[in-house]
Amino acid sequence: MLKRRSDVYSVEIYGTKDLQKTEIEDEEEKHKDQKGNKKKKKAEDLKKELDLDDHRLSTSELEMKYGTSIDKGLSSARAAEILARDGPNALTPPKATPEIVKFLKQMIGGFSILLWIGAGFSWISFGIQLAQGVDSAFDNLYLGVVLALVVILTGIFAYYQEAKSTNIMASFSKMIPQQALVLRDAEKKELPADQLVVGDIVEIKGGDRIPADIRLIFTQGCKVDNSSLTGESEPQSRSCDFTHENPLETRNIAFYSTTCVEGTATGIVINTGDRTIIGRIASLASGVGNEKTPIAIEIEHFVYLVAGVAISIGVLFFIISVSMRYKILDSIIFLIGIIVANVPEGLLATVTVSLSLTAKRMAKKNCLVKNLEAVETLGSTSIICSDKTGTLTQNRMTVAHLWFDNQIYSADTSEDQTTQPFDQSSPTWTALSKIVTLCNRAEFRPGQENLPIMKRVVVGDASETALLKFSEVILGDVMSIRAQNTKVAEIPFNSTNKFQLSIHETDDPQDKRFLLVMKGAPERILERCSTIMINGKEEPLDSEKAEAFQTAYMELGGMGERVLGFCHLYLPENEFPETFQFDTDSMNFPTSNLCFVGLLSMIDPPRSTVPDAVSKCRSAGIKGAVVAVTGDGVNDSPALKKADIGIAMGIAGSDAAKNAADMVLLDDNFASIVTGVEEGRLIFDNLKKTIAYTLTKNIAELCPFLIYIIASIPMPIGTITILFIDLGTDIIPSVALAYEKAESDIMNRRPRNKRRDRLVNQQLAVYSYLQIGIMQSVGAFVTYFTVYAEQGFLPSTLLGVRVNWENNAINDFEDSYGQQWTHYQRMYLQWTGYTAFFVSITIQQVADLIIRKTRRNSIFRQGLFRNKVIWVGIFSQIGIALILTYGLGHVTALNFTPLRFQYWFVAVPFAILIWVYDEIRKLLIRRHPGSWWDKNMYY
Amino acid sequence: MEAAIICNLRVHGQGENKHEEKVQDPDREKHEPKADMGSKTWADLAGEMKIFLWNPEERTCLGRTAKSWGLILLFYFIFYTCLAGMFAFCLYVMLLTLSPYTPRYRDRVSPPGVMIRPYLNGFTIAFNVSQPNTWQPYVDSMHHFLAAYDDKVQEEKNIECVPGQYFIQGGSDSEEKKACQFKRSLLQNCSGIQDPTFGYSRGQPCILLKMNRIIGYRPGAGVPVSVECKVQKGNESHLRSVDFYPGNGTFDLMYYPYYGKFTHVNYTSPLVAMHFTDVQRNHLVPIQCSLHGKGIINDLNSDRFLGRIIFTLSIGK
Repeated sequence: MLKRRSDVYSVEIYGTKDLQKTEIEDEEEKHKDQKGNKKKKKAEDLKKELDLDDHRLSTSELEMKYGTSIDKGLSSARAAEILARDGPNALTPPKATPEIVKFLKQMIGGFSILLWIGAGFSWISFGIQLAQGVDSAFDNLYLGVVLALVVILTGIFAYYQEAKSTNIMASFSKMIPQQALVLRDAEKKELPADQLVVGDIVEIKGGDRIPADIRLIFTQGCKVDNSSLTGESEPQSRSCDFTHENPLETRNIAFYSTTCVEGTATGIVINTGDRTIIGRIASLASGVGNEKTPIAIEIEHFVYLVAGVAISIGVLFFIISVSMRYKILDSIIFLIGIIVANVPEGLLATVTVSLSLTAKRMAKKNCLVKNLEAVETLGSTSIICSDKTGTLTQNRMTVAHLWFDNQIYSADTSEDQTTQPFDQSSPTWTALSKIVTLCNRAEFRPGQENLPIMKRVVVGDASETALLKFSEVILGDVMSIRAQNTKVAEIPFNSTNKFQLSIHETDDPQDKRFLLVMKGAPERILERCSTIMINGKEEPLDSEKAEAFQTAYMELGGMGERVLGFCHLYLPENEFPETFQFDTDSMNFPTSNLCFVGLLSMIDPPRSTVPDAVSKCRSAGIKGAVVAVTGDGVNDSPALKKADIGIAMGIAGSDAAKNAADMVLLDDNFASIVTGVEEGRLIFDNLKKTIAYTLTKNIAELCPFLIYIIASIPMPIGTITILFIDLGTDIIPSVALAYEKAESDIMNRRPRNKRRDRLVNQQLAVYSYLQIGIMQSVGAFVTYFTVYAEQGFLPSTLLGVRVNWENNAINDFEDSYGQQWTHYQRMYLQWTGYTAFFVSITIQQVADLIIRKTRRNSIFRQGLFRNKVIWVGIFSQIGIALILTYGLGHVTALNFTPLRFQYWFVAVPFAILIWVYDEIRKLLIRRHPGSWWDKNMYY
Repeated sequence: MEAAIICNLRVHGQGENKHEEKVQDPDREKHEPKADMGSKTWADLAGEMKIFLWNPEERTCLGRTAKSWGLILLFYFIFYTCLAGMFAFCLYVMLLTLSPYTPRYRDRVSPPGVMIRPYLNGFTIAFNVSQPNTWQPYVDSMHHFLAAYDDKVQEEKNIECVPGQYFIQGGSDSEEKKACQFKRSLLQNCSGIQDPTFGYSRGQPCILLKMNRIIGYRPGAGVPVSVECKVQKGNESHLRSVDFYPGNGTFDLMYYPYYGKFTHVNYTSPLVAMHFTDVQRNHLVPIQCSLHGKGIINDLNSDRFLGRIIFTLSIGK
């Protein structure tokens, strides 16, 4: 036995070492990459860490060294002094990616690179034209500068947004601080873990994160998961024994940031904050690379799609224009225009804003989103795995039934119980109540004597809390009863044993026997019993009585109640004298042939919101394969990590669970998940709408270039004008779509299929580009031709005029009526055309914005005025257009000119057409689900 | 100390490695196909592309069956036909509202711009007197331009008008309008009649200046618009004398207003000839000729052809 143990032990040690080795080597490699001298520093750090000798000291030496007392802990005053000296128990955050790198990433990421190419081409053509002595060469210089400015400004905005959302995320993580159970001033207190100081006595139970480096002084089946420190995933047992010279390997030290997976332990804090082992190996604490979230993948897909379209159209028309005998230089300038028209410059910034708006909204509804893009993931959730405790229920265990003396008694489960009505005269009840009281680790937090018992805050898990309150209601001051029955040994509950045991001296001064009390899973308890107490008398446990037990157990379990069995044993005085030393590891006391006393069952009443939420989930088709997992225990954290989205409970959740989760439900309420699903779907829908809205006018910006190249008409819209649409009039409306309320069917749809249901699918692109976009182009061209015709250039005259039109030596260019125009007069007219085209796109984008409010429902069902922000968008759009046209109309560099009032209305019939057409589309989709129309027109 | 740990580990490591490999091998085999699925090879992509282009099983091309393609093409045919119809209809309605004789707005085309002849792709007139091939193109251009002003042509097509007043013709818009004669003989020394080289052969070039036509425009508001030339930049003594024809270099009022090319068919723009009789030789002389009169703008920085024109004379031996 001993040999086997040592084998296991040595393997464990080697395993740890091996992993350490790889860690260290990894570290080294990293450092080699960065700076050679860091390696030296690290070696010194490791030396320092090995100076640690606390694991060799005895308990009393430790008390001396840290000026503390194991029974009383530090005094608050002393703790405050040390805190002032050492600082809070928190790691200095690891150095993040340098801001400049983040900034540069924004500058070249996504579409920016396309725009840089555009700017580069502009400068090249400026250089060539300047060498050729062309007058208008500087136009290209300015265009290049403007494009560069656009990239830099959107880059700065995106960077600012990211920094802001990082800050929001950081503040979220501060909202779920780690707590530690500390002994101070001889009282157990829950403190934020960063208030811990050296010398504090802390208690740890399964599920807790170790709040500091701790020298253990008392352990009970304690195992720790050192994976965050060593990468070793196998839990390692911890005891109070000094087992190894190396502090990293001795069993009596538990390290900061590792997790206690089971058992309990008490220890003295020996290092805090940056002086902990993990603090010294700071780089270990920095996070690992994140996997791409669905929305990130979708946006990348979208960027590729649009960039692909832009480049292929650009190259295609480059070839066309070269083969049409345009000069290479002109063809390059066309290419720039096509790129600028195709790239939705403002879109990525809009998406970021929409996501952070949603995260804020969700926080208001008690969902803390740790990972911004997880919001969307939730919307595509197809399975929710939930444990019922706490999430579906009120997480307030209450004793509902008792079974003793072969009889089931009902207890009062009401909110404000003060007494319990059942018959308490039986001596069996006296015995049972004693076990319930003593075999319980839960305690009331001090200073709540005036509160009703049911309202008091308890340190302990849910069922122990229920039992504590139950016995407090019936017996009165439980703490004094426990004090009179001094605890001499204890085995806390763990998942292998499935029981909890403690041994007490009795309060009867005549009775020198020890009392062993045990509670746990009823069948396990019964296995250990040979007798059963009936009416205060021990009777042998025959098959008939066991049958009665089974019946009662089944009945209580059948009601969905958590059943616990209770038994006890008075240890014979001769074998276990007063001085007997109990050892819980070797179990030098009997744990079988006990006396069964009774059963207690508890329920956790369901939350009132749950039935509704579950039915919503059902109709949302939540089954089938993005998996959301909810959980609170430490045992849930691997599942949370593995799930597509892990959801932890904010109140009941262990630190481990919260760390592993993507989202934290602050109110532990299942209904909040439904909110999350709804919000997740909503953000996906709204992003779709935003993108559809933004893409549409790209066609209206692109068509002019294509027709300009093919039909050689005067340029209908300028590159700078396009930028004013993309980054001016369109920005606020596209953000406004993020505020759009959900369509009525949002929770009746099937979850998004990650492979098929893309953010930007074929239908969306085709409908936006080839239908609405073309309509907009037609409307804008009508305005364009109207402006030229009313000034004397009839459409027929315009075809094919490009070369002469743009020739600045021709200053008597004849129009359709025989009038003659100078070059500048033509250019001014051309700018008026730009302005008219711009205004027409803006007017039709208002219609586009309105139709994008819904994808299936009629606008009138959705309500035109429910989303006020849309109206802010519409007014801002028109306001900006008015300012550009009339306010900046005299700044010729911007290519805007004042426009006759009536030209604002030329495209209105087309705007109305867009609206009517889209209503018809939606009507047909609703009327004929699954039809050819539905398949091709629903995006 | 670090080194010590590593050493220590190596000692144990040797024994350990074998064990580890054994454990890891089956794992690796399991992972390999997975990794392949994650990153597609080019062959896979090409295969997928092929299937996408033509899927023989489902008989689809680019993801659609023949029927589906037929439907979608039919839909877009109808859709775009309707749209084109609407576009044509809108333009038709818009054009209906326009008068065929007078554009609705003339605010962008006025006040008038100015051009010169000869015009050969630029505003530098450079030649050497002794080399006829350097000035012959200018002379040809002048003759070509003035062909429409031949006295015979003018007498045949146009009427004589009363000088000194606008020639306003009433009647409906669609009525044909009469045009006033502008005979090239009016240009005297610059008419090309006496001197078919327009003075170029003597180093005294003629340049014709014309004002842009604007429908209904009445230049000068009753006082004829006159032309004036000066050196634009540099030594003013380089331009010593200029003769103007006809008259003192004015555009007679009788040639205005212009009624548009459909009704004012034979209209010929009045001209002012500038005879540069004494210009510094062997120098680039930039000259600005500008219109003067009420309502004329000739100092706009952005438009150097509005009410003025700048050209360079460079006359060599």
